[in-house]
Amino acid sequence: MKNDDGPGRFVFPAWTNLIRPLLAVILVTVPAYLVVLVWLGGSPKTTDVGYRPEQPVPFSHAVHAGQLGMDCRYCHTTVEKAAFAAVPPTQTCMNCHKQVRSTSPRLLAVRESYASGLPIPWVKVHDLPDYTYFNHSAHVRAGVACASCHGRIDTMEVVQQVQPLSMGWCLDCHRNPDPHLRPPELVTAMDWVAPGDPAELGRRLRETAGINPSVDCWTCHR
Amino acid sequence: MNARVRLAAGVTHSNAGGSRVGRRYWRSLEELADSPAFRTMVEQEFPGLAEELEAPATAATRRSFLKVMAASLALAGLTSCRWPKERIMPFAYRPEGYVPGVPQIFATALELGGAALGVLVKSVDGRPIKVEGNPLHPASLGAASPWAQAAVLELYDPERSTTLVRREGGQRRVPTWDDFVAFAAEQATALRQRGGRGFAVLAEATSSPTVAMLRHALLGMLPAARWVEYEPVSRDAERAGLAQVYGTSLRALLHLDQARVIVAMDSDVLYGHPEALRHAREWGAARRGDGGAMPRLYAAEALLSLTGSASDHRLALPAGRIGALLLQLAAEAARAGVLLPAGLGTVSPFTAGTPEADFAVRAAGDLAQVRERGLVVVGPGQPAEVHAVAAALNEALGSRGTTVTYTIAPDPERRPHLEAVAELSASLADGTTEALWILGGNPAWDAPAELEFAQRLAACPQTVHLSLYENETSRLCRWHLPRAHALESWGDARAWDGTLSVVQPLIEPLYGGRSPAEVLAALVGEPALSAYDLTRRTFASQWGGGEDAWRRALSDGIVANTAYATVTPRLLGDAAGEAGGRLAVRPASGRELILYPDAKVFDGRFANSGWLQELPDPITTLTWDNAATLAPEDAQELRVKHGEVVRITHGGRSVEAPACVVPGQARGVVGLALGYGREAGGSVAAGAGVDAYPVRTAATAYLASGVEVQRTGRRRLLATTQEHHVIDTLGMAERGRRVGSLIREASLNEFQRHPEFAKNATWSQARPLWQEIELKGEHQWAMAIDLSACIGCGACTIACQAENNIPVVGRKQVARGREMHWIRVDRYFAGDPSDPQVRFQPMPCQHCENAPCESVCPVAATVHSEEGLNQMVYNRCVGTRYCSNNCPYKVRRFNFFNNFTKVAATTRMAFNPEVTVRGRGVMEKCTFCIQRIEAGKTAAKNERRPLRDGEIVPACAQTCPTRAIVFGDLKDPSSEVSRLHRHPRSYGILEEIDTKPRTLYLAKLTNPHGAAGEGEASS
Amino acid sequence: MSAVPLPLDNTLEAPGTRAPLVLGTSDLASITEQVCEIAERPRPSREWLLAFGISASVTAVLFAMVGYLVWHGIGVWGVNQPVAWGFAIINFVFWVGIGHAGTLISAILFLFRQKWRTSINRFAEAMTIFAVICAGLFPAIHVGRPWFEYWLAPLPNQMQMWPNFRSPLLWDVFAVSTYFTVSLMFWYMGMVPDLATLRDRATSKIRQIAYGIASLGWRGSGRHWHRYERAYLLLAALATPLVLSVHSVVSFDFAVSQLPGWHATIFPPYFVAGAIFSGFAMVLTLLLPVRRIFKLESLITPRHLDNMAKIILATGSMVGYSYIIEFFVAWYSGNPYEGFTFLNRALGPYAWSYWIMFTCNAIIPQLLWFKRFRQSPWLLLVISIFVNIGMWFERFVIVVTSLSRDFLPSSWGYYMPTWVDALTFLGSFGLFFTLFLLFLRYLPIVAMAEVKSVIPAAGLELGPHHGHGQYWGEIPHQHDEQEGR
Repeated sequence: MKNDDGPGRFVFPAWTNLIRPLLAVILVTVPAYLVVLVWLGGSPKTTDVGYRPEQPVPFSHAVHAGQLGMDCRYCHTTVEKAAFAAVPPTQTCMNCHKQVRSTSPRLLAVRESYASGLPIPWVKVHDLPDYTYFNHSAHVRAGVACASCHGRIDTMEVVQQVQPLSMGWCLDCHRNPDPHLRPPELVTAMDWVAPGDPAELGRRLRETAGINPSVDCWTCHR
Repeated sequence: MNARVRLAAGVTHSNAGGSRVGRRYWRSLEELADSPAFRTMVEQEFPGLAEELEAPATAATRRSFLKVMAASLALAGLTSCRWPKERIMPFAYRPEGYVPGVPQIFATALELGGAALGVLVKSVDGRPIKVEGNPLHPASLGAASPWAQAAVLELYDPERSTTLVRREGGQRRVPTWDDFVAFAAEQATALRQRGGRGFAVLAEATSSPTVAMLRHALLGMLPAARWVEYEPVSRDAERAGLAQVYGTSLRALLHLDQARVIVAMDSDVLYGHPEALRHAREWGAARRGDGGAMPRLYAAEALLSLTGSASDHRLALPAGRIGALLLQLAAEAARAGVLLPAGLGTVSPFTAGTPEADFAVRAAGDLAQVRERGLVVVGPGQPAEVHAVAAALNEALGSRGTTVTYTIAPDPERRPHLEAVAELSASLADGTTEALWILGGNPAWDAPAELEFAQRLAACPQTVHLSLYENETSRLCRWHLPRAHALESWGDARAWDGTLSVVQPLIEPLYGGRSPAEVLAALVGEPALSAYDLTRRTFASQWGGGEDAWRRALSDGIVANTAYATVTPRLLGDAAGEAGGRLAVRPASGRELILYPDAKVFDGRFANSGWLQELPDPITTLTWDNAATLAPEDAQELRVKHGEVVRITHGGRSVEAPACVVPGQARGVVGLALGYGREAGGSVAAGAGVDAYPVRTAATAYLASGVEVQRTGRRRLLATTQEHHVIDTLGMAERGRRVGSLIREASLNEFQRHPEFAKNATWSQARPLWQEIELKGEHQWAMAIDLSACIGCGACTIACQAENNIPVVGRKQVARGREMHWIRVDRYFAGDPSDPQVRFQPMPCQHCENAPCESVCPVAATVHSEEGLNQMVYNRCVGTRYCSNNCPYKVRRFNFFNNFTKVAATTRMAFNPEVTVRGRGVMEKCTFCIQRIEAGKTAAKNERRPLRDGEIVPACAQTCPTRAIVFGDLKDPSSEVSRLHRHPRSYGILEEIDTKPRTLYLAKLTNPHGAAGEGEASS
Repeated sequence: MSAVPLPLDNTLEAPGTRAPLVLGTSDLASITEQVCEIAERPRPSREWLLAFGISASVTAVLFAMVGYLVWHGIGVWGVNQPVAWGFAIINFVFWVGIGHAGTLISAILFLFRQKWRTSINRFAEAMTIFAVICAGLFPAIHVGRPWFEYWLAPLPNQMQMWPNFRSPLLWDVFAVSTYFTVSLMFWYMGMVPDLATLRDRATSKIRQIAYGIASLGWRGSGRHWHRYERAYLLLAALATPLVLSVHSVVSFDFAVSQLPGWHATIFPPYFVAGAIFSGFAMVLTLLLPVRRIFKLESLITPRHLDNMAKIILATGSMVGYSYIIEFFVAWYSGNPYEGFTFLNRALGPYAWSYWIMFTCNAIIPQLLWFKRFRQSPWLLLVISIFVNIGMWFERFVIVVTSLSRDFLPSSWGYYMPTWVDALTFLGSFGLFFTLFLLFLRYLPIVAMAEVKSVIPAAGLELGPHHGHGQYWGEIPHQHDEQEGR
């Protein structure tokens, strides 16, 4: 083929031959990279898990729930009858701390609150979107353990989020609750392990208690 | 019940002044709501929230409001890289019996025009958010009127007066309550010296025993003082009429459940009556045709009322002719063998053959047949004589004791409101009254026009006005005192039948208001006593109630056996005859103007409520306006078009209002609702409607004859929710054709002959071409609406609005067709246009099993639940609005704007935290109150028991006065809703397109005279 | 070479002789000259600048309106209950419809060996691209929360939610985007040889490089041509079904719903016919002035106009037929709701819009039975503009009248557009013409290479063995000869 480059003719210089393979590579890698970025970077596993805010009072669950072995329900009294597992009033703290460590500077905020009657501004850790209605009582009564969602609180000096609490994560359990069920009276036991196959036990519990978690939208969104 | 017992305990704990906790808590909220800093903070915060709304994470809820509030307080809008840090603010001392986030229900009472309505108020985390009827209360029986329901919005109205105001020489100072107490004390001493001469108290009607006691104390202290009671809308004529024939002022109690034949003379017993809710319940129960019997209702009225709409025979008649018709009725009754007192039943104003005469013949015939089961009832607007004759007629029928009973009217010596206020005005004019305390009410605005009360009030040297709002009257008074709302103060009140209720607060006064009792106490020298002390004192002294009785009263909301004693008065010999004679039988003289209390804002006191302003008028579907209603023939004759402004003149006074054509209104009558056109009514009321009071004199308080109506050529766009534009003949004809299949009805006899008449009344039957999906949920929710019972009052619409955080969009948006009500009440005119029948049809989401909306949503934001609910998921919705297009019932509502950005921080406290507040650009619709369903299911599951039928009640069904709406589980064959779905009268609308609605309607039954075998039909 | 003298009415079908597709003394070089010269003018004419200034500022209005909309919400439009769809959807269907002519001309006529398409296909394809761009804008902005539109894409997510594949709106997304992609490729592919010609004639460095890159190093070798034609043929085959599918799918938005007036089985063919109808009308509306201004009479001959007019006549008649048959079906079905909907269209509050539609679409095009109307550019222009108006109102009638009065009389309403609606619609024309003017300025508006293949100079009339459809192999030599000169 004759190659008469007229005055006006623009010809791709030789180096542009590189562009083709390069283009191919880019077209493959860049989208892949973006997908991975969004997939991992955007998932609640990355954004939410490990959220560990500073609290106004250096309250240690490790001490109270762990070493002292207090039951969750001593403070979170409403967990079995209400949607919210209410954070306890200052009163509750002072039940003990009138005597125990009654002068500790770390409890200053608590004593102030007790005196003034103003609340202690705790920071919310497990924070669902406002259009999501979660009911503690329903889950606890069905035998879903505190630890299933909140992790080993009894080992946490400062509470942090250990589960993504994403919609998909909720659905996984709602679709197949068996491995996460235990006898309701044991829900607050932190170190409980199922005797034998948890799924098998869960199946029996589900069938006896007639638990059938719904995956309808309005179960959680209204 | 036990719930409420516990809560009553709760309330005494947190409100009885015992616990510094509750107080502390409320103070802080109160300070919050008050401080301008807070206001601005929220304003700044909310745009932020508004954006956040759009984000997938949030459509804001009350919870998020609280969180944002907390967050902003705690860290001034600081946000972390995650999303705004949220704070948990637990009580330092949690009130006993209180579980965070769990609603508490308190029984209390709301008073309107001197009659109490017992209500249950739901309170979440200390904020009252919903008013329901109190099933134990005789005037409520579990239902609540739109007015009662809107009380929550009124409570949180940011435009309520927040401070005392002292006006002197054009100056406006803001004193404290202590200043006022001091002023009261010195005034009291000054007055004592002259025994109270020149002093008057102008109070709105109240049934409160505590106020009565204080009044007694006051008059004891100041014998020469005058106590004046005034209500712009009162039932004095009835009282006077009964006094004429019985010699004492009585109060009539109607018992529709006893009646077989009811003749309503210009009377709206089903809506415009202190006991309307009870009447409606009895009516609804009687009209279902069970057992083959059904009362028959005759209505003669000038304007189209709900009672007239519900009637079997309706006669459109100018109000001025009602008396004549009554005489005709008496005459016919006499002819039919009813023995009337002397002088009655002699005149027959109407010549035989006229519609009026026929009406009278039929009605009288039926009355004579059922005797003591008959009832003649006359509206409050009619003159005393008409009431007198009606009472005599009832007496003659033997109805007294069955369909109507009498009690001694409370405060029998009281002067009629109109006369009392006239005398007061005169005494102000001639200076004999120089100190006037006004407790509630708004006389400067709503007193009869010829009294020029405003000018006289302004001239009075010492005036005090206690009021929820700084309104037209407050502006003319030296002192304005913020009044504590009924939901934030202690008190007591008595129902129409006398049953006592204790009014207990659900929240401490947001704006530091005080109750009338407290203000009076300051005057009679007991300033130290709180409303609580005063109420308990009354309770102890009058009902000897100890702690237990008190707690029971708080828990039940009523004190049992406190109704007024029924009396058996004797008819004065010829009083009735004289009354009949006095009843000037004059032909209608010229055009009539009827000034009636509005169905929504009543006499104007509710004008600043967005819920009520936007509630469509049951008949005209008009919102945000009142209008001069005209019969079509009159409109033609006057060449007035719908929406054209007309000038109505009477005795030199005139008002201009847009015309609204209403089929079925009597010819020669113009109707105009009171209560609109407020000058100082607040920003919501501003610009809504025209003020009718300027043409309202004492003489024409209800009816003015011989009014002029001229066209002005100007137009006003009327925001109606039906016929957004004047409908063309083509559409009119088609609508006429369709009504029959939408609202199926038959007479009682037809029903007995063909019970299945409502089935298959469509042009075709759909047969699905595919395998139908069957739903596996353990419940299958459904609704049934009985059109025989529904009277179209619209209580369901407001209940739904309050329960589901439904926004108010304003007149412009309604005019565009963007109202947001999840359940609307469709109004159709059927039959002969000159004498139409009115039909109502509540229309919530039908929750179709084959929901057309579901298949077309591209993002699956609306899908079906296993329990048969058509779920709309706001947070998934992108707003294509395709679902709305494809909804054959057009019950879906779209947020064209963010409707909550302008909602004040205090008003947000009325939000229901269990329901997402929808952001902009998302579709919404009736959910069958899913929050209540879920709550019920969870409760049952936690208690390891099956759900009981009737345990879950949606807001609309709960408040329906006639119990027309029933909700339940179809899986349970014994449930009420299953029974109704199996009922022969049940049908679904638009079955032919195979949507399979879960909401079935029960066909309407009527009981007209003249249907074959009618004689028996009524008995 | 045998030159056919101007003027000659090449719309006459003389038996035996095949009427020429190109008139005048145009030979290969002159065609190149004629077309390239337009794009090579050193500076745009005053008219162009004026037109561009206007359309650009109207486009600015469009973006202002979109910004205003996104800021305040859908409420700034006139949509309401029950009419939840308004101008946005009307405009979308309108523009998509217009977007049909291009690919139809280039693909279907190509497969049918309709040589006369060569002079106008480039132009029509360009119009298609721009129309679809305008169309795509509206669905994008008409949703309540545009920032969540990505939920319509089947992306895996932590919510474990997929879009609803039953929804026609979703099909729309796929149909329109596919159609746009293919049309774009088709257009660009076809332009490569001409871009190369522009490159070769370019004098300024920038133009050389710009056109050079755009023409992907085209040299017109036999192999190039061979591949080019293969690809072109395949794309044509690919595009053809799309032409029919796109508007069928768009029609499903309505046909799949249960709304009386929407729920109709004839919608797909009816919509496609209407689309072609409006598409050709728009081509004419744009072509006639351009032909005049740039003196392309010899390439875009009366015969072209004549053929397009005939297509408009044919499709116009189909549309008119649909209008009538709709009434018949409504009556014959016995469905009272359906019946009322159509009565209401013709006699109800929106009757005016119905009769505008009917006159413009069903009656006026019938004039094209007369040759004089097909001949005179001016009359054609007027008619085509009427058709454009009519076709917009057709969509207005379908969307608004059906929604405003459906099943329950209680929820009947009335739709009134706002100024934002109006300006947004106007703005979309601004965008359309801006793009179109840029096309006129910088790109070869006639497919030179293809036209060359049908002029007498291509020697197609020589020898018995030559005939339409067998000349593909020859053009490279011609082309090289050109280069050779």
